[in-house]
Formats: sequence, structure tokens, C-alpha cells
Amino acid sequence: MYYPRLRGHAHVITDAPEVANAWRGTLEFILTSHPLDCPVCDKGGECPLQDLTFKYGPDLSRFYVPYKMHFQKPVPLGELIWLDRERCIYCSRCIRFCEEIANDPVLEFADRGRAQEIVTFSDPPFDSYFSGNTTDICPVGALTTEDFRFKARVWELRNVPSICPHCPVGCNIVIGERAGDIKRIMPRANEWVNEIWICDKGRFGHHFVGADDRLTAPLIRGEDGQFRAATWPEALDYVANRLAAIISTHGPRAVGGIAGARAANEDLYVFVKFFRDVLGSPNVDHRVAWPTGTGIEQAVAHVGLASGSNLASLGPGSLILLVGSDLEEEQPVSYLRVRRARRNGATVVVAQARPVKEEAEAAHLLRYRVGGEAHVMAAILKVVLEAHKNALDKRFNKLKGAQQVREAVADLSLDELARISGVSAEHIRAVAEVVVNARDVVIMVGREALVGAEENAPALVDAAVALLAATGKAGQVNSGLVALWPHNNSQGACDMGVLPDMLPGYRPADEAGATVDDMLSGAADLKALYIMAADPARDRPSSLNALKNVELLIVQDLFMTETARLAHVVFPAAAFAERAGSYTSLERRVQRTEQALRPPGEAMPDWWIVAQLAERFDAAWPPYATAVDIMNEVAKQVKVYKGMSYDKLEGEPVSWSTVAGYHHVYTGTSTLNTWFGRTWAVQAEARRPKYALRWSGLRPPRHEEGVRLVARRRLYDHGTMIARSHLLDRRRARPEVLISSQEAARLGLEEQGGAVRVQANGVTLVTAARVEPRLPADVAVVACDVDGTAWNALTEGGVRAPFGTLEKAEEAVE
Amino acid sequence: MFAQILKGLRTTLEWGLKKPVTIEYPDIKRPVFERFRGRHELKRHPNGLERCIGCSLCAAACPADAIYVEPGENTDEERYSPGERYAKRYEINMLRCIFCGFCEEACPVDAIVLEHNYEISSYSREAMIYTKEMLLVPPPPGVPDTPQRTPAPPPQDMEAPVSNPQRVERTPPGGYITSYVPVHVVGEEVHPWLLNPVDEEEHTPRPAEAPSGEERA
Ligand code: SF4
Ligand code: SF4
Ligand code: SF4
Ligand code: SF4
Repeated sequence: MYYPRLRGHAHVITDAPEVANAWRGTLEFILTSHPLDCPVCDKGGECPLQDLTFKYGPDLSRFYVPYKMHFQKPVPLGELIWLDRERCIYCSRCIRFCEEIANDPVLEFADRGRAQEIVTFSDPPFDSYFSGNTTDICPVGALTTEDFRFKARVWELRNVPSICPHCPVGCNIVIGERAGDIKRIMPRANEWVNEIWICDKGRFGHHFVGADDRLTAPLIRGEDGQFRAATWPEALDYVANRLAAIISTHGPRAVGGIAGARAANEDLYVFVKFFRDVLGSPNVDHRVAWPTGTGIEQAVAHVGLASGSNLASLGPGSLILLVGSDLEEEQPVSYLRVRRARRNGATVVVAQARPVKEEAEAAHLLRYRVGGEAHVMAAILKVVLEAHKNALDKRFNKLKGAQQVREAVADLSLDELARISGVSAEHIRAVAEVVVNARDVVIMVGREALVGAEENAPALVDAAVALLAATGKAGQVNSGLVALWPHNNSQGACDMGVLPDMLPGYRPADEAGATVDDMLSGAADLKALYIMAADPARDRPSSLNALKNVELLIVQDLFMTETARLAHVVFPAAAFAERAGSYTSLERRVQRTEQALRPPGEAMPDWWIVAQLAERFDAAWPPYATAVDIMNEVAKQVKVYKGMSYDKLEGEPVSWSTVAGYHHVYTGTSTLNTWFGRTWAVQAEARRPKYALRWSGLRPPRHEEGVRLVARRRLYDHGTMIARSHLLDRRRARPEVLISSQEAARLGLEEQGGAVRVQANGVTLVTAARVEPRLPADVAVVACDVDGTAWNALTEGGVRAPFGTLEKAEEAVE
Repeated sequence: MFAQILKGLRTTLEWGLKKPVTIEYPDIKRPVFERFRGRHELKRHPNGLERCIGCSLCAAACPADAIYVEPGENTDEERYSPGERYAKRYEINMLRCIFCGFCEEACPVDAIVLEHNYEISSYSREAMIYTKEMLLVPPPPGVPDTPQRTPAPPPQDMEAPVSNPQRVERTPPGGYITSYVPVHVVGEEVHPWLLNPVDEEEHTPRPAEAPSGEERA
């Protein structure tokens, strides 16, 4: 579609004298008006124009130098990107990237002839989450980033392969390190994950690693209530003694552990092992920002996107069904992948309660009512099972539970489901037909769908699993279920068994422990709580009481977070770039990182801290020297990770970079990638799949007075990590609530909106309301993680969708 | 016997009567050759701005990895060098340096020059790291030091095409050896920052910097 497709036998010659001659002519012409300020140009050293000139360029120009066009040196295209118009060669790659790949058409050429220049016409300027990519693909130094501007020369950087820590897409990145600092982040080409793109959060959100306020020494709260710095042995002994005392009086179940899904697989594995093996407590969970009790963790292990899948290879006949997703804000590069699949001919169906950007790609848009998510999926399943009996997969009936699902679905009435969900029966029939006829079916389930469905969330998951099984797509390459997790390693946390009811590798546990909800509400009655890489006091402000009431609160983090402020002991941890580790993306691709920097002060990797604690409990653990040792153990102990090792996470490169030899000429990434990670196989891929279908039952959705508040996570919020990248400050999500025009009219607000008082979940906020005309009447969209914890309290950081009331506020808000 | 001793001392006595070849260093210093490569200096433009643009090409060329450059960005309020970029930190580790002069050769703006000072010893390794402050020559008399408050050059419009009288029309024997048209042939308007024409003296060592032994004596 983008390149001429050659059919039949073609012989392409790229090194003939004619080719060299053509290059030479073109280069001479380009250089007639190129400033040749390579010594001060950030592209110098990895500049395709430089390289091609070395290879083909003429020795001497036949043009007179003062012909050169002069402009004022760089002008900003927004705060992130600088444009040097003298260097631009008018190739229009940046324009086409924005238009065709990112769907953010904000750049254009202005003027003609030699006065031609790139301009941006959006407000704020260059308003795109993918703007940094244009600096990679710009073949000259015309577009450069503010972040890397004059930071170093590219050949001075040590390029360390890593994985983006910001979202579950798991984009392959390379950290450009020099003199102990991250100078820049660039993508590594990986055709299965991020192609050659990353989003601006990944590119500019690395400043937390080098932030001044990192924790550098273990802290113990003294008698006077103040923290004092301690040595590692002192702090570890203290924690071990206190934990042992609590366990001997209250039993192991009085201890709970919350591991944030930002940690690496190795940390999570050791954390679970410490709790289950050493302390004997099943209370471990990672789902601070994800609803519990939905069963989607298990479902992904059963019918997840099959290994060997590549979203970019979807084409005509493929279907991507997005349920309750907001890809651009939560998994930005997945949006590019879905868009690419759609441009290649795949059908995209979007089911969402509120407008999102990926609707632009949708062939069918199912605008359901919040609370009706599961009903939509059940309705599609019903039509597929009943109206397309002949198209069903033969193996479906052999699956355990298939009969039960059939019967349960037969009892539902399509019209009733359509009424509840607000999506018409015809529309559902049309989508069901697409599902049945699709060659590949990918179902992506987002947080909003599970949160909105509330107690029907298990049914939503069940319907998705049954849909894949019934159409025979479960376990088929390029088909399966994807959970749009909130964190970079949520999938890995599930795999490592950071779940109260599952052991590593999805083996069911004998007795279920307390979920994160129980631990944070105080229902679990914990005496000690160990929190690693999570900040529940900020994300779920309702947990404050529970956190204050425990006798021993241990927090292990990079910063003095809200939770750490309440702690009795704080352990300083190493950030992702300061240790090796492996992370599992939402497509279950296990990918490894390399250490780029030294941790500040005495900060240590998470796994080291937990292993040291275990040692003080006389655990008979092998001495872990590096993360590799732990990965080797994981490969033996965790079934789905069988045979994985750091060596195996490398792979065969297949991309333009290696085909063409000049990696940065064609891919814009300056390093060659050979680490491609590995996807583990789901249950459905087995010859005789051993998984059961279930049906959790559908209940009518809850209904209360007021509007339904839907939490919207924004890419640039005020989260602990991203808040330290001050480059993004001006683009950060503002505290605001989006309301429908009907609601605005009811409240008597102006056409654009105005100040409102929002009341929900026991919280009252006065804030700005903005009218979003496409929003359904009874839905209001509130931001998450903006401006203090009150916003998180509204929706518990996005894991509840409460009913709330809005009223016009007299106070002015800016 | 005595004669034999004298014979044995002949060479000694002969040399005792000649003019001595040793000199009383450090009171007297031997003059060095014009192209001697000693301690580096970072040069300035006649208007006081630093020549160095922080491009790190010297560091890239250095076979001993002795140079560390950290670039910074000029503003109109705080200008160190013409153009956008300057060296915020510039350090040479004199213990590593092998005085090959590659840095001088690599520099696109003739900022780093190996001069005639060879007295580079110290009691500590740390003191052997020469910072930018130590390497940078003082501004010419009466000219302000950097940072200066100097606005950036105004954007230039495209100049009217004029024929270049000195354009090379035929291939020189042996082919072309440079890849650019040497810019200084076309007149003085080329670089607005070189307000004064290039001072020839700038490239010759200043006497004050490298006093020869005779002068001192
Ligand atoms: S990609 Fe770079 S060179 Fe090409 S048009 Fe855009 S700014 Fe100009
Ligand atoms: S899409 Fe996600 S993983 Fe990729 S660069 Fe952006 S934040 Fe990082
Ligand atoms: S003289 Fe040679 S060794 Fe010394 S700093 Fe220059 S390039 Fe390096
Ligand atoms: S001395 Fe010359 S080569 Fe070295 S950084 Fe300065 S301008 Fe560049």
C-alpha cells in the first residue's frame, strides 16, 4: 500500500552506475541550499544526507555558495520539537507521518519555491502524541527534539537496549547514555511490537530516572515520627524482626503484599515467592489500577493473542474488536498498529461509551450505555451462536462448559440486551456477521469496559472467550484476546502469580488470599503491608485509613510517594534503566532490558531487596547474583515461561533496517535491534486445549440518580514518573470534566461549558466543565491523576464508575 | 702516566672549553620550533567570543580519548560563541594527551590550537585535567569577556545570484581534493560574526605566552 508492490519476478538493482549518478545529481542539488552546519547539528553522525553524500555525493558543487537560502535558525514547532528550516529538504516525511500513520494532520508546507517551509496549524502547536517520531524519520537535522538539543553528539552515546516503562505496549527503546545520564530515548525497530515508532511519553518521559528527589538510602521511622537514614543491614533486620513478630502473634495472613505492575518479572516472581514460600501468606495482588474479580487474567492465559501474531500483518478479512478502549491515551503505539491494520484492509469495530480517537478507524461503532458493556458482548455472542450455527467451529462443542454457555445465552433475549445496552439489534447482527466471516479476530478489552460493567465484567470476559472459541479463532495465529492493561508489566505480574487466587503460571491456589480491594479497604484486617512499586495512597485515596492502621507499612519505591510518607520503613529501589530485567507486554511478549546507569546512592533492584529479606527468614533460596539467575529459575518454575532465558529473548531481525543495511536511513532508529523478545503460547494453542468456558450470568446494570462518571486516563497526567518530565508540563491533562450538550443545557451552562460542582463517591470538587457534543447525555468523563488526590478519589483512580451529580458552581475556575 | 690521564680526559677537557649545550632550565628555556605541539589553547574571535562551538569533533578525533566536551546553547542574553552552540564544559586530560594534534586538525573553526607551552606537570592527577577556564585565552584588550549580551544575527534574505568570478571551471590536475568551494575567496560578507577581517597574528603564538629562554635571561 505504501510501497510499490512488485509482482512476478523482478530484479532490483541498487548499485548500478546509473543509480550512483542519479544520487550524485540529486545530492548536488539538495546541497545547493543546505547550511552544512553538521558540526552543530544534532543529526550529525546519523544523518542520511551526510551518509549518502559521503557515498555518492559530488566533490565540488557547481553552484555558487551565496545562493543558499537563509532563515532564522531554529523555530519551535511546539515545546518539544524544533524546526531548522535551512536544513529541511522538503521530503514531506514528517507531514505524511502525521497524516497517514498517526492520524494527527497538524503539519503542512507553507509557501512555494525556496521559501517553502513546514508549519504547524494546531493549537497547541504540533499537537500529537507521536511528534518525536518525525525527528527520527526526518532525513536531515531539520526536526530535532528539545530533549536532546545540544546534549551530546550521537557517536558519544552508549546505546543500551531497553523497554519503555510507561505502558503495556512494551515498545523497544534504546537509552542513549553518556556520563551517567540518559541523554535521549530512541525507538528500536521491532516489527512485532512498535515497528519504528514510540510515543512522546516514552521518548520524553525518562526524566524521573535522573530526578533529584530519588530515594537514595533506606529510611526508618524513629520514635519521634521522623524518618532517619539507615544502612541496608539495619533496615532489613528491622523489617525482618517486625514481620516475624507480627506473624508469630497474628499468623501469616495478617501480612499483605501489593506489588505494582511497574516492576520487572524477576522482582514480581521473587516477591510472590517471598510471600507464598517464606511468609506463607497468600495476600498478594498487583491490581491497584485494574478492577478485580473479572477473570480476564485467566482468560488471557487461555485464549490470548496467539504467539507468532503480528497486528501489522492483519489485512483484508481481519477483525479487531475494541471494547472500552482508549488506545491513544493509554496504549498509544497500539493505536498506530490498529490504524495500520485498518489501512491494510482489516475491519475495526469499536464499542465504547464515549468518543475516542480510534473511532476514526471503525467500520462499526457500538455506542453502548455505561453498564451495558457485557450485554453488547453477550448479544454478539448470542447472534453468532444462534444465527450462524453452521459457521461455528467443530471443536467448540467439545470444550467444557460450551453447553452451559449455549443454554445461558439461549435464555437471553436479543431485544432486551439491545434495550439495556443501547445498541440496536440490527447493529449487533451486522457486527456478529463480521465476526463470523472474519479470517482473524482480535478482541481488545480495555479498563473502561470492565469498570463500567461492574458485576457483569466476568460475563463480558466469558462472552469474549466464548466468541473466540465458537468462531474457532482461539489459539489461531493473529487472533485472540488482549487485555489493555494499565501498566507496563501488568501482564507479567499476572504471569508471575501476583494474584491472590493464582500461583505463578496460572496454577490455581489452594486458598485464595485477600485482593487488593480487601487490603486497601481494611477488610483484610492486615497488620503489616509490604508495597513495592505502587502508590495506593495517591491512586486510591480511600485506602488512607487502611494504610494508616497497619502496624508495619513497608514501601519500596523510587520516590517519597504519598504512600511512602505513611510508611514505617522505606526502601530505595532502582529504576528500570538502572538494572537488568524482563517485562511482558500486553501481547504477552517477554522482552529484556539491559542496565544503562548506576542507581543513585544506595538504591538497589527490587529483587535484591526482597531476596535479602528472605535470607533473614532463613529461606533456602539459591543465591541470586543477577536478574539472569532469577529468569533461569522462572523458566523452570513457571510453566508458561518454559525454556525462556535472556539469550532466547534475542531473535532474528526482520525489518528494513537489516535488509537495507543502513538502519537509520530507512528506519530512523540509530541502532540495529537484535532483541525481539518472545511470546509465550496460550492454552488454546495446545493440541488438546484444556480450558473451560464459563458463564457468570448477566444482571441488569445498576442504576442510580445522576450522571455516570467515566474515568479517562490521559497520557500526560501527573503520575509519579511522568510528572518529573517538565518538558511535558504545558501539555499535561488539565483537571476538567467533559459533559454532554444536554447536561450543559440542563445545568444552564454556556455553550462551551463553565464551572461545575461534581459530587460522587463522597467527594466534592469544583472544576471546569467542557462540553463534548458527541458524549451521550448521561455520561460525564472525568480526568484521572490530575491536580491532587481528590480527582483520583472520584473514581478510585479509574477502577470505579460511580454515579454522581453535577451542578452549576458560582465559583470561578480558571 | 700523567700524559695517559690527560689523554683519557681529553674529551672531557675539550668539552669543558666549548660553549655548554645544557641550559639552566627553568631559568633559561630553549625556544621551540614554530610547529611545536605543546599545551592546548582555546582561541577567541577578535570580538571576544569563543571560537569553540562545542561540536566534539576534537573529542571524536582524539586517539587518546583525552577530551570531554559538554555543549550548551547560546542565547542573546548569554552568548559565548557565534551561532547556536558553545562548549559549556571543555576538559582535556593532559595525562592522556599524546600531543598528536589531531584535535587541532579536526576542529572546524580553528578553536583548539596546540601552543608552545610544555610545562605541564603537577603533583596530582586531578590537576592534570585542564578545564575550559584554563584553556581559554583571555579576550583581546578592551573587549568584554564571555558571556556577552549580543543578539543573534538577523535572518538573511536569499541573496541575489551573482556570478562567481573565481569558480573553478576546469578540473585541476590530479582531480579535486576539497569537497567545498573555499568560502573565503568570495569576499568579506560570508560570516557576519567576523566583523573584523581575520587577524593573521591570531595564528602565530603571542610572545607573552611562550617567552624564550634567551629573552628571559
Ligand atoms: S521530514 Fe524533515 S526534511 Fe522532510 S519535510 Fe519534514 S522537516 Fe523537512
Ligand atoms: S506506547 Fe507505551 S510503551 Fe510505547 S513508547 Fe508510548 S508509553 Fe512507551
Ligand atoms: S593532541 Fe591528540 S591526544 Fe592530545 S587531546 Fe588532541 S587529539 Fe587528543
Ligand atoms: S575545539 Fe573545535 S572541534 Fe573541539 S568542540 Fe570546540 S569547535 Fe568542536
